[in-house]
Amino acid sequence: MSGFVALSASICMALLFVAAGLALYRIVVGPRAADRAVGFDMLSTVIVGMICVLCVAWRSTLYFDAVWILTLVGFLGTAAIAKYLARGRIF
Amino acid sequence: MDGALAAVRDLLVVALMASGTFFMVVTGIGLVRFPDVYTRMHAAGKAGTLGIALLILAPVVFFAGTDPFVSVRGCLAIVFQLLTTPGATYLLAHACYATNHPLHERTALDELQEFRLVYPDEEFGDE
Repeated sequence: MSGFVALSASICMALLFVAAGLALYRIVVGPRAADRAVGFDMLSTVIVGMICVLCVAWRSTLYFDAVWILTLVGFLGTAAIAKYLARGRIF
Repeated sequence: MDGALAAVRDLLVVALMASGTFFMVVTGIGLVRFPDVYTRMHAAGKAGTLGIALLILAPVVFFAGTDPFVSVRGCLAIVFQLLTTPGATYLLAHACYATNHPLHERTALDELQEFRLVYPDEEFGDE
């Protein structure tokens, strides 16, 4: 049964890499800075999901702290870019 | 943990991971296929949040009986995600609209048009 979980975790990991590639495509191609900010937001979310899948695949809770820390600070980059786009400065 | 319970737990974990990954891939496809930045934010802000919540629930269920703090940290992560993602998406959408970021040509209705800000700085306040 554990091989079943490991196999599905590998498949999920591959599909998450596909999602990260699509977000990277938007970062590279995106016509304006706001499109790139959306892609960056999505990329950080996908990386959090990858860490969750790795926790299951490796049967280890060692990296689970990174999940909630990244969810806590992951939006700061997007918020900073939004403020910069609106006002020309961040603070 | 006995065999039957572990099997149910593994099936639940696989279902959570699969559904979360599905929503993440759908978000990626939406990010590539949608025509303007507002619709892309719609994809990344809603489907992405649901996908990450499901993906965080997978390790929470998987380590349910072994490490009690994983469930605390996992629920905390979901709460943080639900708090921060709408805020960041709102800030970005507002910045885009205030700086006249173009809408797609097939946009049917723009109700904010008559309230369009002349000076974007006024909305954010000048601290």
